[in-house]
Amino acid sequence: MEKYWNPVLETLPREQLQQLQLKKFKKILKWAYENSLFYRSLYKDAGLEPGDIKTFDDIRRVPKIEKSMLRTAQGKAPFPYGDILCVPLAAVTEYRQTSGTTGQPVYQADTWQDWESGVEAYCYALYAQGYRDSDRLFVPFGYNIFIAFWTYHYAGEKLGCEVIPGGVLNTEARILKMQELRATAMGATPTYVLGMAETARKMGIEPPKDLFIRKITVAGEPGGSVPATRKRMEDAWGAKVYDQAGSTEIGHWGWECQYQCGLHVNEAFYLVEIEDVDTGEPITEAGRRGKMVVTTFDRMAQPCVRFDSKDVMEWSPIDKCECGRTFRLLRGGVMGRADDITKVKGVLLAPASIEEVVRGIPELSDEYEVLVTKKGDLDDIALKVELVPGQEGNVDAVKNKLVDQLRIKTGLGYNLEFHDYSTLPRYDVKAKRFKDLRHKE
Amino acid sequence: MVEEYKVGDMAEKIRVLKETATELKRISGGIQAVDRNVDRILASVRILEINISDLVDIGIEDREG
Repeated sequence: MEKYWNPVLETLPREQLQQLQLKKFKKILKWAYENSLFYRSLYKDAGLEPGDIKTFDDIRRVPKIEKSMLRTAQGKAPFPYGDILCVPLAAVTEYRQTSGTTGQPVYQADTWQDWESGVEAYCYALYAQGYRDSDRLFVPFGYNIFIAFWTYHYAGEKLGCEVIPGGVLNTEARILKMQELRATAMGATPTYVLGMAETARKMGIEPPKDLFIRKITVAGEPGGSVPATRKRMEDAWGAKVYDQAGSTEIGHWGWECQYQCGLHVNEAFYLVEIEDVDTGEPITEAGRRGKMVVTTFDRMAQPCVRFDSKDVMEWSPIDKCECGRTFRLLRGGVMGRADDITKVKGVLLAPASIEEVVRGIPELSDEYEVLVTKKGDLDDIALKVELVPGQEGNVDAVKNKLVDQLRIKTGLGYNLEFHDYSTLPRYDVKAKRFKDLRHKE
Repeated sequence: MVEEYKVGDMAEKIRVLKETATELKRISGGIQAVDRNVDRILASVRILEINISDLVDIGIEDREG
């Protein structure tokens, strides 16, 4: 069985891959300049013409865009997408929007060709994760205005899998349907994957034994690349869990293959740059964290050219994955958002490092909550956790483990609160476990 | 086993597909059932170009994989 979706592109020598990327970058830049008033004004203000970009290094001269600029642009004509739109409204066939957790949602317009291109990029991921036409996929999400797992659904179809839309069913009904139809794979957020397993157990169903799911693709949260969270998901389901990265504005730009050496960037469809969060200096070497600036090559209605996603990541020291793909690897996936990495008590804190500690202690449940507040002039950080049933007598031992590991991983001391099992909030899709209330007080 | 992929030959067939689909739309007389289906075919053809033909543009004709 062929191990690549596209052996020609996926094993292209890096020099040729970069040649292809430069060509594609120039093409989308020219397209955006010629067809969108938003981009044309942005580039003209910077004194840039598309023809100025001749080398890979020149790409850094192109002004970046960010979400707030998209929101401003979509306040203009044509409604509702604004002057970022590069095609006539009649050519738009797909609407999705961002969740709006950081402000007014951004509307995303796609033509059918754009949609096909996004689905194609997702096919690379699913094929690399071992999905084949013998798989029966279950898609437990609400099929709504958010991109979420829409593309997972259509990529599954394109691979020839049988796809079961688990739309408006509640969690219990989804589990029963999955069991009844012997679904072999599913896609969901890490939060929901863990939540479903918990619900299944409450129903007397042990997923590894009573269900047939053996592959899970997770997206929407960092958990898939957080080793402790991944282990919890794999243990809870008896399945391999693969991380997948993407967003409404960008598409599905990164994924793990079966060797799980890191997240492959799909460099045939996307240009991922990493730059220093403070200085904007490019980071090309492994092991240094920065934020992603990304370009989608083949999305024409609403192009995404040098989008500052604020996703925090670092290049992997592994030059070539065992799978043979030449697509570059990221170590540890998306570690969070630059906006979420904040100073607490003068120490830089990435919320994902708390997740790694909590999920690494088996006596604790999957749920936790972090509250950062101000007590007078001082920061205060509280961590709420739950012991799993049967561990109630181990509070002191667990507390000691937590204090030690949190100190090592985050360099901070926390006010620890132990709550009864199942009393902390549960989330259906994406969780909001880190709450920084300092600016609201 | 090392496969040889005839990128250039595939790209040529993709070009013919695109030309044929475009010509079909040109002579459709505006029949929506033709035009809209051709639009979908052309979207798929573009994906074939992304996968194969765009490589010819950077000088790749045949590839071993």
